[in-house]
Parts: sequence; C-alpha cells; structure tokens
Amino acid sequence: MIKTIEELHEMLKNGEVTSDELVKDSLKKAHNVQDKCNAFVTILDDAHGSEVTDDILSGIPYGIKDNYSTKGILSTGSSNTLKDYVPFFTATAVSNLEKHNVVPIGKTAMDEFGMGGTGTTAHTGNILNPWDTKRMAGGSSSGSAASVAAGVYPFALGSDTGDSIRKPAAFCGIVGYKPTYGMISRYGLFPFASSLDHCGCLTRSVKDAAIVVDAMKGIDKNDLTSWDSSDIHLYDSLDGKVKGKKLFYIKEIVNLENYPDASLELKEHLNNFYHTLDYLKEEGVEVDEVSIDKNLINTIFSVYECLSCAEATSNMSNLTGIIFGPRGEGKNINEMMKDHRTKGFSSLIKRRFVIGSYILQKENQERYFVNAQRVRRLIVDKMNELFKTYDGLIMPVSTGPAPYIDGSKDEITKDNTTNLEEHLQIGNFGGFPSITIPNGFVNDLPVGINITGKCYDDANVLNIAFALECKMPYKNQVAPQFKEGENA
Amino acid sequence: MRKYKAVIGLEMHCEVKSNSKVFSSARNSYNDTPNANIRPIDLAFPGTLPTLNIECIRKALLMSLILNCKVPEYMYFDRKNYYYPDLPKGYQITQMHDPVGVNGHITIDVDDYSKDVLIHDIHLEEDSASLDHYSTISLIDYNRAGVPLLELVTEPCLSSSKEAVAFLEYMRRVYQYADISEADTKKGQIRCDVNVSIMDEDSTELGTKVEIKNVNSFANVASAIDYEIKRQSELKDAGRYDEVEQETRRFDEESGTTIRMRGKVDAIDYKYYVEPNIPKFKIDSAWLEKIKKDIPVLPRERKQHYMDDLGLSEYDANIIIKEKDYADYFEKCVSLGMNPKVAANYLTVQIIAYLNKEGITLKDFYLIPEYLLEITTELDKETISSKQAKEIFNKSLEEKKEPKNYLSENKQISNEVELAEIINKILENNQEQIEEYKNGKTNLFQYFVGQVMKETKGKANPNMVRDILNSKLN
Amino acid sequence: MKFNKELIDDLADKLLIGLTDEENKLILSEFNVIDETMELITKIPNISEVEPMTHTLDNFTYTPREDEYEESIPIEDALSNCDSYEGREIKVPKVVGGE
Repeated sequence: MIKTIEELHEMLKNGEVTSDELVKDSLKKAHNVQDKCNAFVTILDDAHGSEVTDDILSGIPYGIKDNYSTKGILSTGSSNTLKDYVPFFTATAVSNLEKHNVVPIGKTAMDEFGMGGTGTTAHTGNILNPWDTKRMAGGSSSGSAASVAAGVYPFALGSDTGDSIRKPAAFCGIVGYKPTYGMISRYGLFPFASSLDHCGCLTRSVKDAAIVVDAMKGIDKNDLTSWDSSDIHLYDSLDGKVKGKKLFYIKEIVNLENYPDASLELKEHLNNFYHTLDYLKEEGVEVDEVSIDKNLINTIFSVYECLSCAEATSNMSNLTGIIFGPRGEGKNINEMMKDHRTKGFSSLIKRRFVIGSYILQKENQERYFVNAQRVRRLIVDKMNELFKTYDGLIMPVSTGPAPYIDGSKDEITKDNTTNLEEHLQIGNFGGFPSITIPNGFVNDLPVGINITGKCYDDANVLNIAFALECKMPYKNQVAPQFKEGENA
Repeated sequence: MRKYKAVIGLEMHCEVKSNSKVFSSARNSYNDTPNANIRPIDLAFPGTLPTLNIECIRKALLMSLILNCKVPEYMYFDRKNYYYPDLPKGYQITQMHDPVGVNGHITIDVDDYSKDVLIHDIHLEEDSASLDHYSTISLIDYNRAGVPLLELVTEPCLSSSKEAVAFLEYMRRVYQYADISEADTKKGQIRCDVNVSIMDEDSTELGTKVEIKNVNSFANVASAIDYEIKRQSELKDAGRYDEVEQETRRFDEESGTTIRMRGKVDAIDYKYYVEPNIPKFKIDSAWLEKIKKDIPVLPRERKQHYMDDLGLSEYDANIIIKEKDYADYFEKCVSLGMNPKVAANYLTVQIIAYLNKEGITLKDFYLIPEYLLEITTELDKETISSKQAKEIFNKSLEEKKEPKNYLSENKQISNEVELAEIINKILENNQEQIEEYKNGKTNLFQYFVGQVMKETKGKANPNMVRDILNSKLN
Repeated sequence: MKFNKELIDDLADKLLIGLTDEENKLILSEFNVIDETMELITKIPNISEVEPMTHTLDNFTYTPREDEYEESIPIEDALSNCDSYEGREIKVPKVVGGE
C-alpha cells in the first residue's frame, strides 16, 4: 500500500486496513523486490502486525539496513566476515523505534559495511535500481533505498558516512535524511568511520522522514556523542512557511561553466537544479550563488578518503573471526585472523584498509591524516561562516541519474566532475543536518536535490525541504514497474 | 669490568580501583569465573561504543596532581592500533596526545638520601584481556579487558636498580594512600616496563636504550636492571658496544636473564590517532580544586612528622609508613591519646607479627585502636603488668572480645588495706618461717612474696607487696 | 616512485589481509590519486597552523558515566557467535611470544 505514514495511520485507526494486512502486503512486495533488485539480506517472513495505538507509527512495517545490530536477527553488514552473525543486542535507534510498535520486514543489503556508493559490494550480490534494473541503486544504503522506492514500506533505516543515505535516495527518487551528528545514537550501528557516521532514514516524503527521525533520536548513555534533543519536534515543526529564508549554492561546483565537456545528461541535471530553485523563490526564499576557494573544494574528495579509510581500518580491526564470525583456517592465531579477513572482505574494503593504514603510519600521518583533519576544519569553518547568513546550502545531488552497473568500478579516480559527485561529504565533515528530495527526471530517471543546514537546526532544514517538496509532484513517488504491481 | 653510569627509565602500570571499568560498564573486580565481568564492548561486538567513567577521570587527575604534573584543559583519548589476541577491538584506548599529566616530579627516599624523580607523563588507559596458556591452546578471559590502568612514565633519571625499586615501592604506597589502587603486586595490579642504557662515567652522551617489557615484580625489576647493566657493560668492555641494540627484550624469571623479543626495525607502528567516539571532556577548574583537596598526606611527609613531632625512630617510622593501613592505625591510636612510642611499639612488634602469622590485613584485625587503648590505659596506670597486657591482647584476639572483659579479672590489687589484710593472714600462718627469716635466712623474703602472689592469683601489685612485707618483717 | 608493490604488500600483511596482484595494482593507482590531492593541501597557506578536527561537533558538552556497573552479559550470549570455545572461554591455538 503506497501511502504516507499519516495516511496509513488514518487507515489503521479507522479499520480500513489492519497491521497484519499491511505486513503481509509488505512481505509480498519485499519478495518481489528481492527477485528484481536483490535488495535484502534477510526477509522476516514470520513478521506479523502489531497493536495499533494513537502512535502514528504503530502497526507500520519498515526495513532496517543490515549494519544495524538487531537482537536475534541476522546482521551481516553485507559482509562475509559476519555472514552468520546473530547479535544478542539491538541498536539504540532500532529499539527506540520499537517502542512505537513498528514492524520490521527485513534487513536490507548494502555496500559492505557502508564503504562504497554503488551497491555492488554486498556479499549477497549487486543491488539494482527499481527504476531501471540495469542501473545501480546507489550506496551504501542501497537495499533500503530500492525497497522504499519500490513501495515495500514507507520507510527504511539507513546510515550515511559520505552520502550513503542521500545519494541512493536521489538515484531511487525518494527522500533521504541524515540529521545532525549525535541526534540519533550510533550504538549498535556497525562503524565505518566514527567521526563521519550518521544514522538516518529513507522515506518517500519529508514529513515521513520527520516522523521517523523523531522516533529514532534521543540521547543515549551508550553513545557519548549523542545529545538531548527532547526539545526538537521535527514533525510538529513542519509548517511550510519559508518566506524570508536564505539559501546558497556553491558556484565552483554547480556552475555549468566548470564543466566544458559536460554531457547532455549533466546539462539537463544542472538546468533542472536551477529550475527547482525557482520554486523556492516563488515561496519567498532567497537563493544566492556563493563562491568558495576552488582549491578547498578540490580537496573534499581526498580529505574524505583519507579520514574515512583511516578510521575504517581501525574500526574494523575487531573483525578477526576469533570472538564472532567464521573462524579462519591456519596453524596459528595470526594465520587464522588473516585467513578470515582475506576471505571475508571484498576487494574494495581491502584496498581502502591498506590506504587507511598507510595514511595513519607514523611517518605519513602528518601529511595525510592530520592535514586532512585540518582541511576538514577549514571546510567546516567556511560552512559555519556561511550558515551565519544562510539557512542552508542547496545543491544538486551527483551528476545526474543513477549510472549503469556495468562499467562501475567504485575506484578512487578523479575527473573534473568529481566535485559534483562528492560534495555531500561536507555534511559529514560538519555533522550538518542534510536531506535529499527528488526534484524531477533526467532521461526518465529520478534525480535529487539536497539541502544542508547548520548543526542542531534540523527543523529548519526539513521545513525548507518540506516547502519545496510541496511545490513539486514527486512526493510519495514509486518506481513505475512496482506501482503496477500495486494495482495488480 | 669497568664501571659505567646506568640510565634507567620506568613505565609503571597500575590498576585503578573502581566499581565499573573505564570505558565499559562491566564490573571492575577480580573474578575467578572467566568471562563473568563482561559487557558487549569488552568483546568488541560490532556497534559497541566506549563510555567514560567519571571516577576513573577523577582518580587519574588526583594522581596527576600528586605527581605535580601539568593537567590538560581537556580530557580525551587516543587509539593505539595493533593486533593481538588479548586486544578484542584491535586497538587499545589510551592517551598519547594529551595525557592527564605531563612534566611532573616526586621526591622519594633511597636509603640515606632523597631523590627527585622526574615524571614524563601519566595517562589513563584500558587493560587487555588475559590469556591462559595450555600445552597446545590458549583460552581468552575478558574479565580484565577494559579495566582502568594508570600508566606512569618516568624520565630516564634513575641510576640503579635500588633507586628503581625505591621509586616503585614508594609509588605503590602513594597509590594506596590516595585510595586510587590496592596496588597489590601479588594480584598483578602493578606491571612494569624498564628502559636501561649505560654510558661512560664522565660522558653526557646517552647510550643505546634497551626496553624490557612486562616485568611483574619489583624483585624482577631489580634483577632485570642488574642483568641488563651487566650485559651491556660486558659488551662495552669487550669493545663490542655496537652489539647493544635498540631493542625490546623480556625478563626470563627462571634464568634471571633478559631475552630479545624484537629489534628496532620490527618495532610496531601503533598508528595512534584521536578516539572520535569520546568527545573532549572539559576539566572544570572548580572540580580540579576539589580534587586537590583529596590529596592525602603522603608517606614521606608522614614519616617526617612521626620522627620530628612524635619522637619515633626512623626505623619504626619506616615500618609504619610501609602500608597506609599501618599509618592510619598508628595515627588513630595517637589521636586517641595513646603514647606514640607505645602505639608504634605495639604496631611494629606484636600487631604486624600477628598479621603475618594469620595472613590477614589490618582491615580484618580485631583489635581496633579503641580496643588497644583499653589495654594501654591500664598499663599506663600500672593496674596491669606488661605480662598481663600481653595476655589480654592475645586473649582478646583469640576470643574476639573487647579487652575490658578481661581487665576486671586481671586487675592488680593495689589497695594497701586489702593487701595488708592478706599479708597479715599469711604471716600468721607462717610463724616458723618468720623465725627463720629473723634469724638471718633473708632469702625467705621471696617466699613471702610468692605466698601473697599465690593467694591473689598473681594480681597483687608486687611493689606494694614488697613495701608492706618490709615494714612488717623488719 | 613513492608507492610500490612491496610497500603495499607489507601494509596489507600488517593488517592481516592478503591481496591479489590485481588488488595491489589498483591500490597503487588509487594511492597516486590521493597523493596528488594531498599535495594540494600542503600548498594551502598556513595549513600547519590549523587545529586538526578530531571530533565532529565542537564545544560539545556531556556528562561522563557515574561509576556504577551493569550485570555481566550471559555467557551463552557472549559465545553464541563463536566457532571455538572451551568452557566459558574463547579457544585459540596456543599464543606464543608477546605483543
């Protein structure tokens, strides 16, 4: 049933549908998406409806990215190193949601441990885009994005270290929101790069994203970086009143003049971006073009690689197959650990680990890791300076719609469109609230636009996104071939 | 063998006493049952995060202040990355960039001189799991994983094994006095790494530094240092000093030698970087002032006080400050009004002997200072003899009853009238002996005393008995 | 050239990871891309004076945990994902040598 959470709640309350029926429908669709897009690691076929109360989320099915620890439910992070791992504790974000009587339908496939942006490194195989299964869903929250875009349920959990919620959301034509760092506890989220990792959600409307994050967030004694957000009520603060708000975009990334060899697709995508800005202006929002030192912009991508690879190397040192995970073969413990890791990790992860390890070496740390941390600060300071004047940064997501899976390598390369591909990482550098919403089509495939604001100002960022969403016809859109399934 | 100057530095790891571990909420206490004090983070299950124990920060700051260290503005931590089976996360959370204390110093006594030991830094970190080795397998117990440790690093400023052990002994006491740790070497709560190099007597150029890791007792620290000095000196004497390599060795208890583990080229790069999961914690200056007030009077100051103000000998003072329990017991006795020398005498002779015999600590000792005072007061008043005092002391301990229960039955008869009556009766019944005495058999005096004692079951005040007998017989 | 096959294999080995030749080659090219951009960073004026950003949120305040312990996790849970244990402990081939 392709409805918003508000609509579903209304139907559940007045008896038009039961939670059990919703869950059954959701499971059926999950299998369909699994067949076509390979979106799940686990589908919880035993799931059944839950009690419907006045809580807007009660009785509603949802999906969980497989890097959230779920008690008694296989949680692999889409990695062979944890292919049989069944945790005995549940991530705080999930247990917070459970208090609202939501019903988990499945664990969604992803790029292994969140590293990668293509959905091609999961141990269960490539995850495909429901709009065109020859294309990638984007990553790393690939299965979550694909299943929400295919109408399996109104929302799924994601995690975002570089753009892992916000890019697949754009490629799948849905909403992806990562709130301010620490608003949602990371306890129980398999770490990729702790200082960049965020929990968040994928939905088909801004309002749904607000409802879901309201339920996920909260200070947690198990996560020292979490903070008390009890005075923030995202859902209640959406009023669509944005007159007088000010946004900016970065000239050095967005302006078509930066791309002399621009493809038709890229041109269309950027034109569509400017066109979308007009909607905001109609609502009384001021949108300015701002210039930022190109040298600084050019470093974003490398800063991200340095920091994320380095932190990942350390974060995943616990994956040795000694305490959990398949025990490797070998005569001694070192051989066992090496066997476990060599067999367990995908090629991409191994490459990132080696780079991260090099960067952290004593003799290289200053040049790579510490300099990257310094530039991170310069970028964040620059953003915070702009946030004194502006309510947010508005940018197109990626260079267009989802690329084809064939030919995608997910290697570290650089060309002149890299900045357009990678700028969402700014949101992770600063821990800024950041939301992607669909803003149209290029080549009949969805594209997205992103709004990023200052820390703790989530309600304002969501409200601007909400106002913009209301001006466009993409709210609650579902990939066409799955929409037909709805009618059948 | 020529004589060289030895340059020694120490790293002293000491387990901190707390209810829960430092970055984990599991219980921090020794447990015979393996894996019975564990939380998910202690086994590094995916998604677990460190938390930070405020009491451990407090104790780390307290020690930093005691060592006269510079305290940082913020408390934060670093990851030390390496693979080892006892390290479940693949990294240890420790402090490298900004330890809880740097550039400190503390004065210790070494035999007949005192020495200012320079402290490079002190930092708070977590312990590793423990491995139990069997013939073909090892078993891993995570009870110790995450237990708070304070690692104290001295400058290379010590010059002999004697100084090193004096420092360690003194620091062990300081940890106890400040109630930061039980600092029990038998329980493995203190572990040391030792750096040793030698140089020519008249030289200022440092020699090649050799590190000896994981030395587990102070006696072994001394042996390891002495062995290393000898080994390096012999090589130097033989013109083979280039064979002394900057390397890591371990101490082999059985042979009393050090054995090479790895050289400089194989040194592990720990790839330290700031732990992002523990935000910087601002050390509030008001809080720091409050902690300053918790600094105890240190053993060295106490010793000075006992000698200068209470008139104890250095020998007694040294015994008493050896354990905080002793010093506290002694000071309590003095505060109750006991003569310091009497209190010291009881403690250093009878009490410590008793504790050793029973294998207990002063905490479990029945005769608290208040009870001991019951005995010494009577002794002062000469209402009991020192022999009786000793009997009461033993009986009270044996039967776990307050000394006053025995005092009434043991009290001396010092009443002159009462004694005179008893003596008169005895003299009446011993007319023959009186005759003999008066005829010159003066050694019979002792016989009369004995009769009185027999009659009073030894409770008669012997001096008074003598006086009365004298007046009656002569 | 700064990066070569031996260096990369050594790094991987220390991470307890085995690499194929192809992976090794790929890392070489990726390294070069990153290194080029890092060159840009070293050219940013006064970069060495910038305070490295080690934590995501600046001026973040929090209350550390009180010194209270929580019950130990059941041993069944602790060992439920372990392939090799004996009694209450995790079993590995005999560990020799030190860290």
